[in-house]
Amino acid sequence: MSVSELTLLVLRLGFLLVLWLFIFGIVYALRSDLFGHRARKMQPDAGAPVGAPAAFPSPVTLPPAAAASAPTEQFAARPSPAFTDVDDKATSQNATRLVITSGPKAGTEFPLTGDSITIGRSGDSSLVIRDDYTSTHHARLMLWHDKWMIQDLDSTNGTFLDGNRLAVPTPVPLNTTVKIGATSFELRR
Amino acid sequence: MPASSNRSTTTDAPARPPRVRRLHLPQKLRNLELFLLLIACGINAASVVLVQLGALGRIDTTLVLLGAGLSVMVLGMHVVLRFVAREADPFILPIATLLNGLGIAMIYRIDLANQETGLSSASVRQTIWSALAIGCAIAVLLIIRNHRVLFRYTYIAGFVGVALLLLPLVPGLGREVSGARVWIGIGSFATFQPGEIAKIALAVFFAGYLVRNRDSLSMVGKKFLWMRFPRLRDLGPILVVWALSMSVIIFQRDLGTALLYFGLFLVMLYLATGRLSWVLLGMSLFLGGALVASQTLDYVNGRFQNWLDALNPDVYTADGGSYQLVQGLFGLAKGGLVGTGLGQGRPEITPVPQSDYIIASLGEELGLAGIFAILALYLLLVARGFRIGFAGNDDFGKLLGVGLSFVIALQCFIVIGGVTRVIPLTGLTTPFLAAGGSSLVANWIIVALLLRLSDTVRNQPRLVV
Repeated sequence: MSVSELTLLVLRLGFLLVLWLFIFGIVYALRSDLFGHRARKMQPDAGAPVGAPAAFPSPVTLPPAAAASAPTEQFAARPSPAFTDVDDKATSQNATRLVITSGPKAGTEFPLTGDSITIGRSGDSSLVIRDDYTSTHHARLMLWHDKWMIQDLDSTNGTFLDGNRLAVPTPVPLNTTVKIGATSFELRR
Repeated sequence: MPASSNRSTTTDAPARPPRVRRLHLPQKLRNLELFLLLIACGINAASVVLVQLGALGRIDTTLVLLGAGLSVMVLGMHVVLRFVAREADPFILPIATLLNGLGIAMIYRIDLANQETGLSSASVRQTIWSALAIGCAIAVLLIIRNHRVLFRYTYIAGFVGVALLLLPLVPGLGREVSGARVWIGIGSFATFQPGEIAKIALAVFFAGYLVRNRDSLSMVGKKFLWMRFPRLRDLGPILVVWALSMSVIIFQRDLGTALLYFGLFLVMLYLATGRLSWVLLGMSLFLGGALVASQTLDYVNGRFQNWLDALNPDVYTADGGSYQLVQGLFGLAKGGLVGTGLGQGRPEITPVPQSDYIIASLGEELGLAGIFAILALYLLLVARGFRIGFAGNDDFGKLLGVGLSFVIALQCFIVIGGVTRVIPLTGLTTPFLAAGGSSLVANWIIVALLLRLSDTVRNQPRLVV
């Protein structure tokens, strides 16, 4: 079987093309390293002009529901999110931080990135809680179909969502207390 | 039995929930890695097929052994990562695979030109060494579950590094290949370059040593011009490493290795102290040493002459002259922009086209576009390593990550710079590409360590209560 010159030419140019496509594929996959993380949902500033969100097209395409509820009349209707959002499930769109509400480090918080958060006494957990009631790998918070779910990992003393002990993975509403050992925390906007 | 069940019902009043249903989360990073890995294996197979089409005009069954051997091993490593390092960086493994596979294809191409087949051919040996190296990498991943373990063995690592470096000087064990005494061998086969492994041990040692002692190296000193210079008594470490690399130049007659170790130490020193004066001091020390060596040592002098006056007919035809260097340049020139095509050039004319000159061979057959693709792969690999180093929380991990990836970068610069006549040619292997088992083992261990580092970095606690 002999191969013609033309086939070889096409094959060798194609090979170089694939090689470069592979490189650009990697560069595309790590674009967040080069240009920073994608902006999360922008919370319009109370003082900002109303037209601002429309004037600057956001790089993130908001889902229709979130886009519709973005502008200002929402602020009039909802004076404080703490009382009105209780029934809302925390999603990657509306929950931005995890706040410790009681326990030794009450008041501290850290931002949610979309990676799952493991909770436990072991040093490889994302949220390390060192007290006598926490298990080594106690519970896990993760995004499941874009909703924040909490799952108890067979802990000894249990994980309590709003006072109820968890048996199955459960979606976490915003501003609702999750209690692990002597520490409780909430997911907030 | 009744008693125990009775007790459990009384004490666990809110009855213990049944075993929970686990939610299965997709391992996004690993899936991305698998996707890239399959593409890399596909490109590797395509390169072997192209070599066969170009050189033989038909497709041969050797492909099964060459392509599948590497692919099976890296997929095995991927599966291991799924279990022991889920959060590891997804780009390092595919990049290393692609570089290794391109190297095997090129070595196979040169085997075809020299009509070498079977187990004695360099390409089959390279495949076996790759499998062995990836096996070592898997072992490192399984044994070292946290890079901080290495911090405990700082001084042992330093001792091992220096011992490995000096091993070729032991009479009876050392082997001299083309002038440089950097090999060891038992019997007539089984040769190994211990210096390749030494660079990992030394990176661990430098990282651990500098984390422990950097305060005295960075805080004190006289300010002169716009820089703070170290005190005389703090010059000990840099002088020791300088003396070590100078002894490599003199006794092992290997310029590249010396430059590699000294450069590694200098970069890690700069990283640990943040003082430019160390770099200036170190570079002037090394340049001074190299200048003296070029005046007094014949082989260094020859290298300099080949570099500066390569196209002079006298130098070209001289014994140990610039013949090899210029042949490599001719090959690169023949390749042009898109190359002659795999299997269609004449890379075998250059001496040792499969090890030191593999980059010239690849440049001839893949052209400038191919060379730049390979350099981009190295760039991405090293950038990932730096990124892992920067993201780390502990100083040891930072220094180790940057040090290990800088070794790859510096080695590429020394070899490719030498082949393309940017710096004097020195004998080092091109990481992952060049034929040579010790280099493959060392670089795959570096890959495993970087993967381990990236996994621990991503698993750091965000908050400790």
